[in-house]
Amino acid sequence: MRGLLYQLKSVRKDKFCIMSFLLPVVVAVVLHFSGSIDLSSLGELQFGVCADDTAPEAENWLARYGSVTVFQTKAELIRAIREPSTNLIGVTMEGEGIRTLLSGDEWAIIWQAASTLPQLYEMREIAAEADVQLLERPDILAGYQNIFAAMTLVVAMFMGCIFNAVNIISEKEDGVAFINEILPMSFKAYVLQKIFIGFAFGCLSAVVTGAICFRLSAAGAGAMLALIILSALAAAVIGLFIGHISDGLMMGVVYIKIVMLIFMAVPLLKYLAVTDNKVLSFLCYLIPSSAAFEGIMNLVNGSAQAIGKDMAILMAHCAGWLLLYQIFNSSGSRCDI
Amino acid sequence: MKKSFWSLCRKDCRMMASGKFFFVALGSFVLYTLFIRFGYLQFMDMEIYNVYLYDPAGTQTEVSSLVHPVASLKEMDALLVEDANGVGIDAGDGRPRVVLYTGSAKLDCHRADYALSLLHPGREYVPEIVGSDNLEMKNRKDITCELLFIEIVAVGFLGIASVLFKEKQMGVIRVHAILPVRKSLFIGSKVLLFLVTDLVFASLMTLCNVGLAEAGDILSAVLIQTAILSLIMALTGFICAMLLRDFKQFSLAYLVIALFVATPVFLSANTSVKMAWIHFHPFYHVYRSLKNAFFDRGVTSPVYYICVVWVIILLYGIAWTALAREMRKEG
Repeated sequence: MRGLLYQLKSVRKDKFCIMSFLLPVVVAVVLHFSGSIDLSSLGELQFGVCADDTAPEAENWLARYGSVTVFQTKAELIRAIREPSTNLIGVTMEGEGIRTLLSGDEWAIIWQAASTLPQLYEMREIAAEADVQLLERPDILAGYQNIFAAMTLVVAMFMGCIFNAVNIISEKEDGVAFINEILPMSFKAYVLQKIFIGFAFGCLSAVVTGAICFRLSAAGAGAMLALIILSALAAAVIGLFIGHISDGLMMGVVYIKIVMLIFMAVPLLKYLAVTDNKVLSFLCYLIPSSAAFEGIMNLVNGSAQAIGKDMAILMAHCAGWLLLYQIFNSSGSRCDI
Repeated sequence: MKKSFWSLCRKDCRMMASGKFFFVALGSFVLYTLFIRFGYLQFMDMEIYNVYLYDPAGTQTEVSSLVHPVASLKEMDALLVEDANGVGIDAGDGRPRVVLYTGSAKLDCHRADYALSLLHPGREYVPEIVGSDNLEMKNRKDITCELLFIEIVAVGFLGIASVLFKEKQMGVIRVHAILPVRKSLFIGSKVLLFLVTDLVFASLMTLCNVGLAEAGDILSAVLIQTAILSLIMALTGFICAMLLRDFKQFSLAYLVIALFVATPVFLSANTSVKMAWIHFHPFYHVYRSLKNAFFDRGVTSPVYYICVVWVIILLYGIAWTALAREMRKEG
């Protein structure tokens, strides 16, 4: 107990520790209170027209399908079409119809839209009379906003991993690791003290981030808390493991970089792309943030009963990483006294 | 002075090698190249919407080959559940009725009209092409530019810090305080080594991932922008390493840059999402210039270069002052 108090005392003086746990909270506040980022332009077609070329009727017609930007000259329009960050379709008049301009490096879907646009313009009156039945599905863009919030929460949960890894690497660099080896302390007490700060502050940071980003029912909040505790514990142990295997500052930072990249990219890719492939899905679960991210998205989407599997996976991660750390540690220099 | 400078360079080179900096840079290059070849290029496309037609009586006679016929409404519903971006056309009673899952209002309108247009395919139309790249080349340039930016911003920044913190621990700065070697040489040798490493890294990334034929036209412009970014990051890393107490605090600065500073830049420069304040973000302009170099668009504004030169001079001045302060503290 006294050891844990010492750990807490050291945090008070450690700006890195306090700020790293505050960062996700700051991002959550920005996401929540600044009305978040306007992603609406991602989901729709973008057209560019020349001010002196396109008839107002055609401009209004294009506005039904996407955003229309008016350029003063054709040179400006072509420059905008060639801009690599956008998929702008240029539209000019040709007699009674229209013609389209592309940069040539667009996705198949944009190419197809540009290829069929002149025909759609010719058929505009027939199309206006067609009967269209829209079926409900959740707002895709709201889903993207939730992904941002869930990703911030995952970063908060796994911040303990970075803290613990950096802590152990610093101790190695300063020579404190050698002192730890001769301290009369059991393996269990050592591990407990080492993961305590990363775990406790990871939890705290994630709870505050979650409270800012999501509005959940009492049962949902309880389930979220369980997810946070399990994820933060798994992250804290992984941090310990990374610190243990890192040889020097640079390698440690490289490991942390790779781990952070994997922790963020794998759940995102799994959520957006490969949910149907069972083998790939299973492989994704080898990364603990996958289960955490999936659990958060399930809770946010209202399917709380589905998170049992995610919790079981996170528990397995906690146990597995602890066991792995113990095996590595017993084969390394530190003795279990 | 020349001799001192080369001695310092040799010493820094050995420090970088012992800190595994070259190993990490080479490993990153191999990893990024594999990722581009076997990962990114395979996924970066978006296929056209699938259109499913239920027309048991065969009332639609001119249907395009892009339309997938279905045998029953149940099959069409099941396909639409699986492929929510797809569009169904129910022509069971002879009059086509479009069925689709809602997305954004404007896109729904386009999907519906597009699906109907496939029932009356007209003459084949090919849009006029005004650019010079194809999709694969664009993707190659995009991802190479992004990874190069990340590598220099993150790893270059960290590399100089890991060398400096090591030197701080070893008391090298204290020794330099009493040596008759100018502070500018101490800063210059480190910055030069990181600059050379970054330029080699940028050349390898561009040649291997963009291709020899294309890289020839853009390499010089890419190297100029890489040099600018490398100088800014190396000097910033130097300043941070001098001002911050230990590597842990430095890691926080790294985290802020890697995660929270670069993200809005990538979002604004790579997608149509434009944030009003992004023009005040210093990294945005550097990233845009690097990207323009990759896409052979050039940076025409002399204001950019004037600003960059002033920023580098300012950073050098701060680095010099921070080193002098550190030497006074140590001495």
